[in-house]
Amino acid sequence: MTMLFRYRLLPVSRPPVALGGRWVRPKPLITTSLIGPTNTWISDGLLDTGADDTVFSEDAADVLGLDLTNARRGSGLGLGLATLSLRFAEVTIRLTDGREQREWLGWVGFTPTKLRRSILGFGGFLQFFTATFHGDREQVELTTNSFYRGK
Amino acid sequence: MTANGKPQHPPDLSHYHENRLKIPADRLAPYIGLHVAWSPDGCTILTSGEDVQSVLRHLKEAGIDPGQVVHDYIEAPDIVQL
Repeated sequence: MTMLFRYRLLPVSRPPVALGGRWVRPKPLITTSLIGPTNTWISDGLLDTGADDTVFSEDAADVLGLDLTNARRGSGLGLGLATLSLRFAEVTIRLTDGREQREWLGWVGFTPTKLRRSILGFGGFLQFFTATFHGDREQVELTTNSFYRGK
Repeated sequence: MTANGKPQHPPDLSHYHENRLKIPADRLAPYIGLHVAWSPDGCTILTSGEDVQSVLRHLKEAGIDPGQVVHDYIEAPDIVQL
């Protein structure tokens, strides 16, 4: 029931001060598939315990074939204090670590604001898992919890 | 989407992460600050652009289904993300 993801090691040209001379910066980036009415959107998203919602760009919604015209609306505030407008749709989210696969229905906020990466936050994503971040092993474990209703 | 209007099966990503970890930094350098589309095996960047819409346009021109690639962003090294 547990999936294990190794942190992605992003190269740097100067060792980060806080990481003691290493030439990479580890990040919990996870490849996630959204499955819509007409297509799939696969992207590397940031697992973010500080994000209230799961957020993708509206470009993804277009590819998925989602009609957001009458979608529930919301807004979010990024760390740079820029406000994001969001339109929510319930979509199938699929995740695999290469050994196990999970697939569930989750609410995703789609924003017209240009995002560098999709954000895998609490609503729609982390609410369904017990997440253990192993800083020493640079791995994150995701175990489905009692809220999980997927396959 | 396939010619008969039905969505294609999502691609096999079983080797994506493992292969991505093997990509040396110098191969990513030309793509820093760009959105990219990776092949599902994580070995090749198929196209890139300043924004996702550019990537989607390039994929369409190349006849590649945007649902059969992995969308990603190549971060600039040394910029701390908060």
